[in-house]
Amino acid sequence: MTNLKLELKNMIIDTLELEDISADEIIDSEPLFVDGLGLDSIDALEIGLALQKKYGIKLKADAKETHAHFASINALAALVESYKETN
Amino acid sequence: MKKLTPLSRWLLDVAGDQPIAIMNETIITKEQISEKVAMWQTILPLSSGQKWAVYHSDAIEFFTLILALWQSDCTACVPGDNCTATVERLKTSVTGFLGEFEQVSPQYKHIEQVTNQPFSWVEIERSFPAIEVYTSGSTGEPKPIKKSMAQIDDELCSIEELWSFSERSIVLSTVTHQHLFGLTFRLFWSLAKGRLLLTKHSAFSEDIYHLASQYDQFILISTPAHLKRLNHQLDWSNLQGKCEATISSAAPLQYEDSLYAAKLLHAPILEIYGSSETGAVAWRNQAKVETDYWTLLPNITLDETDKGFIVKGPHIAAEHQTLSDNIECLSANSFRLHGRTDRIVKVEGKRLSLSKMEKCLEQSTWITLARALVVTKKREEVAIVAELNDKGRELVQQHSQKWLAAQLKESLKTSFELVLLPRRWRFVNTLPYNQQGKLPMESLQALFETTEVKWPQELARTHIDDNTWRFSFYVPKELIYFDGHFEANPILPGIAQTHWAQHYGREVFAFEGRFNRLEAVKFQSVIFPDSEVTLELEYNPFKGKLTFQYISKKGVHSSGRICFE
Repeated sequence: MTNLKLELKNMIIDTLELEDISADEIIDSEPLFVDGLGLDSIDALEIGLALQKKYGIKLKADAKETHAHFASINALAALVESYKETN
Repeated sequence: MKKLTPLSRWLLDVAGDQPIAIMNETIITKEQISEKVAMWQTILPLSSGQKWAVYHSDAIEFFTLILALWQSDCTACVPGDNCTATVERLKTSVTGFLGEFEQVSPQYKHIEQVTNQPFSWVEIERSFPAIEVYTSGSTGEPKPIKKSMAQIDDELCSIEELWSFSERSIVLSTVTHQHLFGLTFRLFWSLAKGRLLLTKHSAFSEDIYHLASQYDQFILISTPAHLKRLNHQLDWSNLQGKCEATISSAAPLQYEDSLYAAKLLHAPILEIYGSSETGAVAWRNQAKVETDYWTLLPNITLDETDKGFIVKGPHIAAEHQTLSDNIECLSANSFRLHGRTDRIVKVEGKRLSLSKMEKCLEQSTWITLARALVVTKKREEVAIVAELNDKGRELVQQHSQKWLAAQLKESLKTSFELVLLPRRWRFVNTLPYNQQGKLPMESLQALFETTEVKWPQELARTHIDDNTWRFSFYVPKELIYFDGHFEANPILPGIAQTHWAQHYGREVFAFEGRFNRLEAVKFQSVIFPDSEVTLELEYNPFKGKLTFQYISKKGVHSSGRICFE
């Protein structure tokens, strides 16, 4: 597991105060919302805020794009990487 | 100030070139809507008196379908979602499904060409059953609530009488029109007033911020779930003077959250109190701490009767006048709310019947009793305390508590929305009843406090005889004692075991002497995280000695005597 992915998993667990899951149980490619980890729309808001706080990422006002970024840990990691490169 | 156009006459009275909405940055006019309605009427096999379910994520596509139904004397059923369970449930009560329902065919989702026939519209009668919305009742089963054309138009009149905002404001929203609050405030009110609305709703603060910055003036329709999570790192001062008002409903806003949103949006945060049954009933603006009370909308009255509190008004149906909230009247038209009278709660604005969830869980073959409650962490969450039967306990031994929780959660998925699924579980052998045989809310809440975990989770305690007690413990992996003891192979330190023995001993035997020394202490086999152990305590009051022994199916873990001065 790369450090960034682990960092993101821990960020999600801390942000949402998830108590029944640990970082090594979140699978990089699995959906975070609904089917996989089972997160919901309120969690999406919290994760959006956490991304901004931790990495300074501002979400674009395009719900579809945001949705794609939030698909999995892999997608989130790609978002953070590309943000780091362009800033 | 422009007057409202009743929705019953909307197609007849609104001018063809009137801009109605913004769809993907393009203005939609009344004419375009009329054309679509006419086309739908030729395509759809509608006949008078039918009911059709309507779901569409685009507010104007949704509205055109609704208008086509009304023009053909058909009622629109408006479910909160378009998931398979909803389609199954509605199948027996509706003729068909319009809009975004992937599960059905034929699909009536879009129309490409429009008719060039001249339109002829009829005025909808006031008594016509225009829509049906759904809400979970105290049994948890969704029940239909009918709204007549008169109720819809009269409610809009009362709202307009209260807040006659400018028709120049653009209406932005974080709520959909598939629930009554969004339907009324975001869609119907905008249409009746001639205020431009955005056809898509916004999921994130960033969407709102970005959209709002494109317009001179806007009104935001939202909920506490969104307003308390507005991203304060965006430069909201850019929007200063643009927000005419923000209207919030679904649940009361906390005072602090109200101030927070008002500061970022530079606008009054106006809250609506009401329900799917009653529609809007009252409003408030908590700009100051002493303005936390609610004021009735124009044309609404509130009376206390022997059946409880009754609200009356032109848009409230006789069968929905009784309120399910505890009310404290302050004057003829103002009151405070003190929670529900039944076991319906709001979780992040979504309605949940705690009884229904408990009933669902108690149907499991592993659970004898279940209690559902709402705990507030970073968000509001549903939490469960459940008494397991032998089968359930066996499964926990074989797998883990976490495994069991995951199975139970999965089984609830078909009956509850994602936001409502329990996120915290405590499995106990007996629920924490007090001496009066009651189950105090504080004891249930206490099970979910996650300050540093220093104690085992008590499953049961048994009084064997005057000098002997037996405790059943679950040893949670979160215990601070496992930290670094040892890094890869955590085990419960001996000192923690003696500390617990002393703590629980003092609790049941009520001795006061100071700790002096340990005798005959043996640590035979280690205790691992996530395991169950029994602690047996025997106190000899004459010698001032407490004998302890930790045992489990694996045998004796440790034993010893603690001597007190």
